[in-house]
Amino acid sequence: MSSSRGRPGTLPSEFDPRVLRRHVLRMANRGQSFHVACAFSIIEICSVLYRRFLRYDPNDPAWPDRDYLILSKGHGVMALYACFYEIGWLGEADFENYFKDGTHLRGLCEADVPGCEVTSGSLGHGLPIACGIAFGLKRKGSDRRVYCIVGDGEMNEGPMWEALLFAAHQKLDNLVVIVDANQFQAMGRTEDVLGLEPLPAKFEAFGCRTIECDGHDPVALERAVSSFAAPCGRPGAIVARTLKGQGVSFMAGDNRWHYTKVSDEIYARALAELS
Amino acid sequence: MRDVLSDLIVAAARDDERFIMLSGDHGYALFDAIRAERPAQFINVGVAEQNMIGVAAGLAKVGFRPCVYGLSAFVPIRVLEQIKLDLCQSRLPVMLLGDGAGLVYSTLGVSHQCGEDIACLRPLPEIAVYSPCEAAELTACWHEARAADYPCYIRLGKADRPTVHAGPLPNTGPVFTHRSGGDAGGVVLVATGSMVSPCTEFARREGAACISVPRIKPFPDELPGMYRSAAKVIVVEEHAGTGGLWTSVVEQAARRRDPGATPPPMESVSLESAFTKTGGSWQHALREHGLADDQLAARLQRLISTSEHSGA
Repeated sequence: MSSSRGRPGTLPSEFDPRVLRRHVLRMANRGQSFHVACAFSIIEICSVLYRRFLRYDPNDPAWPDRDYLILSKGHGVMALYACFYEIGWLGEADFENYFKDGTHLRGLCEADVPGCEVTSGSLGHGLPIACGIAFGLKRKGSDRRVYCIVGDGEMNEGPMWEALLFAAHQKLDNLVVIVDANQFQAMGRTEDVLGLEPLPAKFEAFGCRTIECDGHDPVALERAVSSFAAPCGRPGAIVARTLKGQGVSFMAGDNRWHYTKVSDEIYARALAELS
Repeated sequence: MRDVLSDLIVAAARDDERFIMLSGDHGYALFDAIRAERPAQFINVGVAEQNMIGVAAGLAKVGFRPCVYGLSAFVPIRVLEQIKLDLCQSRLPVMLLGDGAGLVYSTLGVSHQCGEDIACLRPLPEIAVYSPCEAAELTACWHEARAADYPCYIRLGKADRPTVHAGPLPNTGPVFTHRSGGDAGGVVLVATGSMVSPCTEFARREGAACISVPRIKPFPDELPGMYRSAAKVIVVEEHAGTGGLWTSVVEQAARRRDPGATPPPMESVSLESAFTKTGGSWQHALREHGLADDQLAARLQRLISTSEHSGA
């Protein structure tokens, strides 16, 4: 497991979910951006991966021996930015200038941002690329691992299922797909738009060893990710049951926070809950 | 050309462990040799082209040199967004082979025909586009693409036309396949891919010149100098009249600002903006577009005559 393989330097942060959510809110407020709720639902997932599992160099996001975190649902990118800030890959100016002219941080995951790995604002791209990386690493005999966070709405995309077929066929047991099953997509409840359930059974049927857990419970997430440590000849899948907007009472389960901007007043109210 | 392509693929696999051939369940005998000699370096990813491009991107990210094969109707057309975002934005060294370009799959119908691949790829940043007419050009394009550290697309059209080059080519630049003084005050045909052979034959017969253009993007700077003193330039391609060789030629001519260097009159002979209506041989499919060998010769003859009249 990556934690036993170690990483360069010491753990730069505890990746406290409350702190990460405060970072997201600050960016959203400073930049008058959106997708706050889409980032909130993957905060614990990102926190657990960066704190416990991912092997990376705090001084170099492109460290050649790193594990890969591929954010396939690119609209959750502020959760990654929050982690990058904790690691030190981003600084104050990046947050304060978010969405200002000339910022290198965009509202969706872009491959040219160190640490982001892929461009995934258009859905259905990240998982196929993650499969190629995992396939390549296995061919090289590397023990580096690939984690790919996908959205439940994103599973509407055909290439996601193409990629799962490939992952199972090529026995990519160095790949763990984590579904942010936050129950919503842009314009409504996932089950109302294009029903996906039973998601765990679908991932099993596509050849993944699948675990379902509470995606906001760090202990449950750690247990789930740890269970994929030993190679088993199958890709891993975690259906993380989450809630869009989790962490701030008036955002949780309210799909308006997919696209609503965070005013100064909203920012103050939300921060008060996370202090 | 396909035998040469098979040899190039096997040689690449033999010489470079990083070379991995990916196919979306197409290619048949083309891959017999690599499957026999280097089976681990050939991956049939199944009928899943979008995933195939993503997988190629991932492989390139961890140091491999993937080569993706598909019919041009699928690679690049079906997977254009994957090429743009997964390959071009990160400037990944992935080769794309689009086979059966133009109307080669004349019996199979519109789904397998492709007259728009060059037009779709030309506007994308970072990618090179090649359109070889025969083995000599394919070999030059292949080696240039293999050495590139960015994505490259090689368009493969009708592969069994009479050859026009006497031997290997030193590079992928435009090359005269025939010159008989026709470039000085006469007509110069500028062609690519499957149209190079009939245009060369016509040029030989009628005393015109013919230039083959194997590299479409970046478009060769030296081309205007090659037709500079022509009375007329006729651009011929088995591709849509928009976005391909014709567009490349006239865009380049319009942008040139050499004092006193007014470009010669230019004409386009290309696929019509229409889907094929019936099945049949390749020549039959071309006939629907006025590009069958006899039609092409007649059209070129008319355009030359017009040129002579206007020059008289």
